[in-house]
Amino acid sequence: MPEPDVEAGEVKISARDVQVFYGDNHAIKDVTVDIPDKAVTAFIGPSGCGKSTFLRCLNRMNDTIDSARVEGDILIDGENIYDRGIDPVQLRAKVGMVFQKPNPFPKSVYENVAYGPRIHGLAANKAELDEIVEKSLRGGAIWDEVKDRLDAPGTGLSGGQQQRLCIARAIATEPEVLLMDEPCSALDPIATAQVEDLIERLRGNYSVVIVTHSMQQAARVSQRTAFFHLGDLVEYGATDDIFVNPGDERTEKYISGRIG
Amino acid sequence: MSAASVDAPLDPPPRPKSSLLAPSDRTRRRRAAERRFRACGVAAISVGVLFLAVLAAAIIRSGAPAFTRTVVDVTITLSREQFERAEGQLLKTAAYEAVLIGALQEMLEEREERAPFDAASLRRILGKTGGSLREFFRANEDRIGRPVEFTLPASSRVDGYMNGRVSRDSLTDSRFLKAADLDLVDALAGAGIIHSEFNWPFITGADSGVDNPGGAGIGAAVVGSFFMMLVVLALSLPIGVAASIYLEEFAPRNWFTDLIEVNISNLAAVPSIVFGILGLAVFIQFFHLPQSAPLVGGLVLTLMTLPTIIISTRASLKAVPPSIRDAALALGASKTQAVFHHVLPLAMPGILTGTIIGLAQALGETAPLLLIGMVGFVARGYPDGFVAGFTDPNSAMPAQIYTWASRADPGFYEKAWGGIIVLLIFLLSMNIVAIVLRRVFERRW
Repeated sequence: MPEPDVEAGEVKISARDVQVFYGDNHAIKDVTVDIPDKAVTAFIGPSGCGKSTFLRCLNRMNDTIDSARVEGDILIDGENIYDRGIDPVQLRAKVGMVFQKPNPFPKSVYENVAYGPRIHGLAANKAELDEIVEKSLRGGAIWDEVKDRLDAPGTGLSGGQQQRLCIARAIATEPEVLLMDEPCSALDPIATAQVEDLIERLRGNYSVVIVTHSMQQAARVSQRTAFFHLGDLVEYGATDDIFVNPGDERTEKYISGRIG
Repeated sequence: MSAASVDAPLDPPPRPKSSLLAPSDRTRRRRAAERRFRACGVAAISVGVLFLAVLAAAIIRSGAPAFTRTVVDVTITLSREQFERAEGQLLKTAAYEAVLIGALQEMLEEREERAPFDAASLRRILGKTGGSLREFFRANEDRIGRPVEFTLPASSRVDGYMNGRVSRDSLTDSRFLKAADLDLVDALAGAGIIHSEFNWPFITGADSGVDNPGGAGIGAAVVGSFFMMLVVLALSLPIGVAASIYLEEFAPRNWFTDLIEVNISNLAAVPSIVFGILGLAVFIQFFHLPQSAPLVGGLVLTLMTLPTIIISTRASLKAVPPSIRDAALALGASKTQAVFHHVLPLAMPGILTGTIIGLAQALGETAPLLLIGMVGFVARGYPDGFVAGFTDPNSAMPAQIYTWASRADPGFYEKAWGGIIVLLIFLLSMNIVAIVLRRVFERRW
């Protein structure tokens, strides 16, 4: 187990000895990792290695799976999110998430973005809400494409637009951490490039954690990379180091395409 | 496999050239199988449509006569003495009928009618009329002593003769109608005194006595069914949807919820008469709710409808993609918010479909009503108001149809078919409402 490297900046999320079980299946083993603020951290690894599972621990989305059990500590800004007193609803307002498959609500573009601010009471009136929606859609780099059809259904947009809409929806609640679970796996190269540009811009304000199957993507967008294999965190460090000088044989094999 | 065979590709064996234009044996067999399957499908649909057509034709052919009635136009002048004498008698309606027959006789004599007639034959031609005559004159005493034009129903046998149900050959002389009377009927029909008209009283009226099929109407039973459906809708939809949402979205999966689930499925298959006897024991004998009341009928049918609604609601909640729930939860919506803001609206079309199927079943149910006294009860009138609609004794459409079908007079047979047509129209309008609502709620995702 490599020592957590905290040079990259202020630590936003720190996980200590995290174990995840799905029934009897031990999906995450002893993961200890520090995720920096205002940077992009990529989780890579072969399918089924537990990277998405670990990601879902960070906003307690695993709570929705009956058989899932999480042990260990995950601290965000020093607070243990698995503490009894923590309300997952409040946690998820602070830790936004974008899913693998774009999943806009079957409502208008406007309603999609406005839903989060509305349930959290972030806008006092219609004008404020309009402002939040516009800001979020601009933040999601989709404003120019949808500003004339805010009333059109969000499900009618193209795949890439839908995913950017989902990102805009996630940042509308002003989270501090943004989790992205293979956000580009359903997108074509052009849409992927747009989303990657967007991630690059989001880095300034958020702690972004992205799960990806594409090594090139991890190399392009992230500053830190964690390599998972069969539930273990094999290696974690600066992206450049991981890709140029992998410390572990398994990392090297995976990156060069010989396992996975 | 040796190493050599991996490195050097094997020489492919020579293959016969095939033509894409000549179908192979496999293709031919596959196509034949496909054709057979399609033929089976078309045949199944055709049989279904044929049955439906036969059924519809039979219902319309047998039920249509119920919507026309044969009436006699007659002008009566009731003198003050006649009125007082009639009111003084024991059999008051009979006295009015005697006046009517007198007036009819006078009219026929004036017209020099050649067909033989007497008071007895006229009495056989006319239906039960005394009641309505008496009602009219008691309500309008100022019309006494002046000529009043009446349109009064003919007897059910004459009605049957005009509709083709009774013919001269099939008629055996009885105290109800003699073959000789038909000459008089023909003559009166030729003169326009007896004619057919649309049977409004059938649609708006209440049930009549067993000897008066001509006066029987289904209106009161329609009202009874309507109030029952209100009870069913108001109770089973909220309870059913709430139970489904809890079971599907919130309840933990354990042996207890499994048990509940199995029992709900079993409940859907319980014979309806069991619910009827439960309703009798619980609602009437224990809670002392009124007998024969649409309220009790509605409660019993609610029990029957609940499993249907719960099962279909759970199915439509399950059909909402989990990604929608995840999206809402990840935004920081609580579980309740995710369900009510996103899942429930998407499940709404399915819930409505299930509800309407449940209501349609309940609407057509007769057996449970047998046990709570809504069958065989003669629905003699309309309820006095909205509340009375729930608590006053009444019948329901299928119960009324069953009552008519079991009566001896063939005139009621016709009414039963007519009642079925009204029931089907009621059902169709319910379905149309459901389809419209579904369109309103339907969204793509």
